[in-house]
Amino acid sequence: MEMVWPRLFGRQVWRWTGMISPQTFHVVSTELVVGAFSVSGLCFLFCLLLHLDVLKKTDWKPLFDNVAHFTLVFGLAATPFAVLSGLSSAPGEGLNSPILVNKMFLSMTGMGFAIGVFASRWRLGTNVWATSKTTALHSIAGLAACGSMLLTASAGGTFLRNESLLDVLSLPYDAVLLFPTAISGISLVLGLGLLVLGWLRMNAVSSIH
Amino acid sequence: MLLSFLLISSTYGAAEPGGNGDATRDMQCGGACHGDAALNETSLATLTLSSSSTVYAGIPTTITLTATNLSLSSTGVVGFFLLTDTTGHSDTPQDAGWEVLSDSNGGAANYVEQTLSSGQSETSVSWVVRSSGIGTTSFFAAIHHGGSSSPFFGVTPSGYSVEASEVPENLPRLSADFTPQSERILGVPTELVLQTEFAESVQVQWKVEGGAVMSAQVNSSGENMWSATIPAALQPTSLQWRAILQGDGPEQTTPWFTLTAEEAGWEVEEFAVYLQAFALLFLIAGAVISLQSRFSPLPESSKYDQTDLLPQHLDTAPAIESVTDGLSEDSEVAPLPAGGLPNGWNEDQWRWYGHDYLAGKYGGGQE
Repeated sequence: MEMVWPRLFGRQVWRWTGMISPQTFHVVSTELVVGAFSVSGLCFLFCLLLHLDVLKKTDWKPLFDNVAHFTLVFGLAATPFAVLSGLSSAPGEGLNSPILVNKMFLSMTGMGFAIGVFASRWRLGTNVWATSKTTALHSIAGLAACGSMLLTASAGGTFLRNESLLDVLSLPYDAVLLFPTAISGISLVLGLGLLVLGWLRMNAVSSIH
Repeated sequence: MLLSFLLISSTYGAAEPGGNGDATRDMQCGGACHGDAALNETSLATLTLSSSSTVYAGIPTTITLTATNLSLSSTGVVGFFLLTDTTGHSDTPQDAGWEVLSDSNGGAANYVEQTLSSGQSETSVSWVVRSSGIGTTSFFAAIHHGGSSSPFFGVTPSGYSVEASEVPENLPRLSADFTPQSERILGVPTELVLQTEFAESVQVQWKVEGGAVMSAQVNSSGENMWSATIPAALQPTSLQWRAILQGDGPEQTTPWFTLTAEEAGWEVEEFAVYLQAFALLFLIAGAVISLQSRFSPLPESSKYDQTDLLPQHLDTAPAIESVTDGLSEDSEVAPLPAGGLPNGWNEDQWRWYGHDYLAGKYGGGQE
């Protein structure tokens, strides 16, 4: 089954933005995503270091907290544009390279982490920093979002220029871990269930008050 | 410190050391740094163009570039251009009315790349081109490659003139709109279909690099249509083939066309990919939210929160019930003044508002 709607929708997106090619639009949007997520990841790293007492400037915690989440949301907002313009600007038809598939998986994984971190911080407030367990979980999830996006950008560099800063890690971009459709379907339902349950639980906590 | 380290460790001029890929490109190569006179250095390579002595308009011919005295970067990647002027724009053969039918890499591009082995200082590239009209065209060749610290660029100092003359009457030839197949899939025999003009018989020869010239069986498949079968390739490689055309006119031999065998294109079921991508999105977001909502303590009390004012156990302090029921008991009713009910009051009013009267809110007071 050929999924053409992302390409068509992607073309519409860049047409709305004016007379620029999808390649240029993809470069602009990916720079926004990578820049925002890099700053966010750096701030989550500082939060984790503060938690581990490696950094002693505890009065900087609100600063790192605010910047990490602001840039995370900014990068999250730009990510769909980067994904859609990437689908439109890829040479050939469809997902004709394992690197493109890995880019899709990595970017969606990063979006998943980012949405989880943002929703937690939004609904639970500063309580995500309240205990050692929640602080570690929140920081690591934020760092995972940043790492996934940087890996996506690295795969893009490998696809376009055949080189990337992360080539030293010899990442297997040519290999695709594709689950059977049934496993993906079950995972999707499970994920939606977890999302709804978690959201209801957070709302229930709020509604008590 | 990390940024400083990365800046220091990067090398100038190593923008795309892996090459840029075969394509139709002008001399500026899409603005790449190799074409920028402010950034590059002049390549020491010697470039020589050659072609057959007789070239007819509409008949494919081969132009060969021989490059010597090459000194490349450690990657060994070198790119060659076939151009028709050196202005930097609109300078491809197509711009001058020449069609590139085939290049030595198996494509049909005026810019091709090669990766040479260490120490190799000489190579050659060929293009099969076809003119759309008669006349003289000057061809130039350009080269770009890496080096020790800078990008290198070079171009032939003068043009190589190729004169396309009118096709003789009755010359057996490939039809004017024939485009040779340049790629095929591994493991499958290839049927070449040739369209000819003024040809009464056709022979097809093919060879692999370093191998003997072989003949393919040719069958007529219609008027001026011929088909020849090339054996299947078992591994990614390229072969060259040509046709020898015979008719009333002088015998004509086509250039060697390159046919590259590649593995079938990479394919994946896109629905499965998108389904898994969204599954990853929701699964990870759901997991993070669920874990945080489970581990996080309750948020601090709101400033509007007055739940602590409620009795601990509502069943032990039925406040509303006691008020309602108490109204029927005399102990809850304010004691009557010495003079009885105040003027104008009835008993029901006193039951409800008697305490307020005694407090002086209705002009009365404790007597």
